[in-house]
Amino acid sequence: MNRSDLYSLTPLLILSSAAILNFFSISIKRNHKVIFAITVLSLIGDFIFLTSYSLYHQQHIDPLLVVDGFGIFNIGLILLTTLVVALMSYAYFEQREERKEEYYILLILAALGACIMVISKHFVSFFLGLEVLSVSLYSLIAYLRTRERSDEAGIKYLILAAFSSAFLLFGMSLIYATTGKMDFGGIGYYLTTTQDIPLIMMAGLGMLIVGAGFKLGVVPFHMWTPDVYEGAPTPVTAFIATVSKGGMIALLVRFFNAINGYQYESFTNLFTVLSIASMFVGNILALRQTNLKRILAYSSISHIGYLLVAFLSGGSMGAQATTFYLVAYFITTLGAFGIIATLSDQHRDAELIDDYRGLLWRRPLTAVAFSAMLLSLAGIPLTAGFIAKFYVITAGIGTQHWLLVFCLVVNSVIGLYYYIKIIAVMFDQKLQIKSAKELHPLVYVISSVTIAVLAVFLFWLGVSPEGMLSLIDDVI
Amino acid sequence: MKDFLWLIPTLPFLGACILIISGNANLPRRAVSIVGCGSVGAAAILTIVIMIDFLTTGQIPEYTVIVNWFSVDNLSVPIALHLDTLSLVFVFVITFVGFLIHVYSIEFMHHDESFARFFAYLNLFVSAMLMLVLADSLILMYLGWEGVGLCSYLLIGFWYEEEKNGYAARKAFIITRIGDTALAVGLFMLFAELGTLRIQDILTLAPQQWATGSTTPVTICLLLLGGAVGKSAQFPLQTWLPDAMAGPSPVSALIHAATMVTAGVYLIARMNGLYVLAPQAQLWVGIVGAITLLIAGCSALTQYDLKRVLAYSTISQIGYMFLALGIGAWSSAVFHFMIHAFFKALLFLAAGAVIMALHHEHDMFKMGGLRKQMPAVFATFLIGSASLAALPLISAGFYSKDQIIWLSFASQQSNIWFFLAAVVGAFITAIYTFRMVFLTFYGEAKTSVSHMPGNLITQPLVILAVLALFAGFIELPHTFGHVTLFSDLFSTTLPPVTLRPNVESHEWIIQTSTGLLTLVGIAMAYYFYVIQPKIADDIHASTIETHRFWYAGWRFDSLYDAIIVKPILFFARVNKHDFIDKLYSALVELSEMMSALFSRSQNGILRWYIMGIVAGAVIIITFTLIITP
Repeated sequence: MNRSDLYSLTPLLILSSAAILNFFSISIKRNHKVIFAITVLSLIGDFIFLTSYSLYHQQHIDPLLVVDGFGIFNIGLILLTTLVVALMSYAYFEQREERKEEYYILLILAALGACIMVISKHFVSFFLGLEVLSVSLYSLIAYLRTRERSDEAGIKYLILAAFSSAFLLFGMSLIYATTGKMDFGGIGYYLTTTQDIPLIMMAGLGMLIVGAGFKLGVVPFHMWTPDVYEGAPTPVTAFIATVSKGGMIALLVRFFNAINGYQYESFTNLFTVLSIASMFVGNILALRQTNLKRILAYSSISHIGYLLVAFLSGGSMGAQATTFYLVAYFITTLGAFGIIATLSDQHRDAELIDDYRGLLWRRPLTAVAFSAMLLSLAGIPLTAGFIAKFYVITAGIGTQHWLLVFCLVVNSVIGLYYYIKIIAVMFDQKLQIKSAKELHPLVYVISSVTIAVLAVFLFWLGVSPEGMLSLIDDVI
Repeated sequence: MKDFLWLIPTLPFLGACILIISGNANLPRRAVSIVGCGSVGAAAILTIVIMIDFLTTGQIPEYTVIVNWFSVDNLSVPIALHLDTLSLVFVFVITFVGFLIHVYSIEFMHHDESFARFFAYLNLFVSAMLMLVLADSLILMYLGWEGVGLCSYLLIGFWYEEEKNGYAARKAFIITRIGDTALAVGLFMLFAELGTLRIQDILTLAPQQWATGSTTPVTICLLLLGGAVGKSAQFPLQTWLPDAMAGPSPVSALIHAATMVTAGVYLIARMNGLYVLAPQAQLWVGIVGAITLLIAGCSALTQYDLKRVLAYSTISQIGYMFLALGIGAWSSAVFHFMIHAFFKALLFLAAGAVIMALHHEHDMFKMGGLRKQMPAVFATFLIGSASLAALPLISAGFYSKDQIIWLSFASQQSNIWFFLAAVVGAFITAIYTFRMVFLTFYGEAKTSVSHMPGNLITQPLVILAVLALFAGFIELPHTFGHVTLFSDLFSTTLPPVTLRPNVESHEWIIQTSTGLLTLVGIAMAYYFYVIQPKIADDIHASTIETHRFWYAGWRFDSLYDAIIVKPILFFARVNKHDFIDKLYSALVELSEMMSALFSRSQNGILRWYIMGIVAGAVIIITFTLIITP
């Protein structure tokens, strides 16, 4: 490792140092404000440092990592998302009894794991990143341990994630056994030079898909999603829905491009089946659900299904559509969970649809912002979600994936039902008098400003996506 | 000036946004007036600056991109504006007349509770209309087209507490929707045939693609005509406009006289290159215009409601514009549009002042004698009426209408029927216009004046009156003066009219005779309604059937009710439990069932979840092993 390698890795080093700084700070004196400030400032600082890289930056840190435009873009996305999660966490945890400080350490470490994933080009770094992320998530999910569902969700996630990691590891070893390689490039080279691919290799790739599919929550590996989404503290749910899934998607894009997986019909067929199943199962399960966090969990299953349509289109168009979809989905999901977090009180999260009855008349701005987020999830024009979906469909049609595009359109209709239902509930005239004990209003300012900024981005991307599109175009 | 063009439609739009967001309660009326009028006023000033720039340098900003919405592959959707002299005239009328009407509205609507809502709608309307005429592509134009339709709906039903206003609003919306559908189909065809919807590209590509008179351009032009007929209230879709008078008077002045209803004229003039390729369709434009101007004129003769007379006269005058378009007299149509905007806005505003002064009395037979009580309104109304009736030499309306009548005789594309319709129409116009003047302002006062209009009402009237008198002098016929300032504007944008050989010598005969006809019409109105009102009653009694027929607008409403509305309602009743609906309800039930079924898999039991993963893994591995590449 030389000096320029170190320069390229600085964003990760900043994250690690922030975690250590938080350790020190906690051991001296517990103070929520100080920890929060350290976390936020280091995330912002890290992002600013990241912008100093050129978009065409390309640094191979052999054999494990590669820091290129795509990686930098995704690291930036992860940092900003983590920042938003941290910002919405302050008000959420401030009103709770538990010790709040270690939460931020875990959050930073989870982000670090995701960052490693998006720049890795080797099984070892892939697995390292994944485990750093997962182990942090185990404790994050169960963080509010006094709450009934919290530890249940944590344990479930622990067992299932460990189980799927086993598949992942076994898949990796099978591939290593046949190819003798663990870096993506090497595996790709092996595949191009081999005419008849051994069955063991194929089985290994299949198991890899099982492991990745679990992280993404695609059908049939989706069953943990609603339970974990419901049990985890809302900011953590937002983190799982975005960073954890987005990191895996970015890794898959990199891996599939490196081994040129699109040429194997068995894999594209497999992903087609997974995508269609995810779209239908996710949307249909959400139809009769009354718990908002579970609805969003099901909705995320179907959204990953949509994303796979773009992913399957392959090529630069597919990668662009995937990345843009991720950005739009991140913004929207963060906004939605952010609003749930601000409306939650000391004892429970505002997770039932009935909690939102007549919200428009109680908190008009929040209700409007939430409606915007839901419309974006449904893909209504003028929101980022529309452009993202449009882009995905364009990519799908461009590569003749008619079945997928057809299913996507049908599912957009089904999805509309439960998104609109929530909006209708919010516009209900029957006033509900809630006597929630409110914190100091200043606490909410951070969350409100965050949500407002997200809403602005949502419309900005929906009205003039040109800037983001060309940025994505440049990094790919 | 190119850099400021985008501000012209944007400013009124921003005004509308501010007013909508702030609502009725949060802004004082003064601030609402400033935002509402200021945004349109600023747009008007910008337009005038661009005009001066154009008149001094001859330079006009042709094309600007406001924003590139997005581009994917080779599909890009820019929001771009195109300004040439044709759109410049429309922009000028929309912003300038629009501004005067906004100022008038401050006083007219002062006591209305929804003051801010009114200005928000007006601003939104102006911005949509500006989008319509400035759009570079037909898609954007369609956005403006639907935008003005929406605002028209909102403003006709502005006093929505009364049920009949809501009915009138829905009627206007639905009937224009018929035309809009035709227009949309026309646009689809254009896109399918030419692969572009940029107006300039269409006009250059069309002559290369199609021979003159071939079926495709004729079909497209007829579909576009369908859109124009709906929006401009022409035969056979004219029935919505008289009912649209349910809106406040400034709305009638702005939307249903000066601007929106002329959108059809703009559309046809803008697509002139297509119509040149489709002479049959162009002939139909003329036929529609000729029929409309006659039937609307006859209906105007029999109305009691002051505003309905004006409504029918609007339909009739737009009929003249269509006639002009149909005979290839492009610039004459635009000229008549501009002059008509001045005098018709003036007439509606003055009528609004009269109606307001008489406790919202609309019936002309209950008015009378206002000449002395409201001298300023009388003087301006008289000027507007003179212009509408085309009083020879001194009114602007004479110069614009005379040009159309003359060209309906002289143009290569015209025929004797068009000419006769134009002349008879001019005669009828003179009668009904002055019938209205005499009934309203002469004779005995039947209702007392309660409220005298203030400065904000009279000043716009005076400005419009000046324009209604003198604006005609920028275009004088060959026989005297021969000024062609206005038609020179269009030397590059609109094709010139071709005259039949050796007709120039007849021009003065036709002018003199139509002038005389107008005077005779005015004299007849004076005789029947001032000197011998009994004769008018006798004629009325002896022709009561015709009178009723014309009064009801040739019974088009009943006709449509019988042949369209009733059958549809009948089928709707019969097919109340639509069997096709079963398909959708089955889909809903299926989804619900599936949802119930699937949610059983979400039972929270860990071993079940693990089973899921294992099953998935088995399936995937089998899949990859069996279907190996």
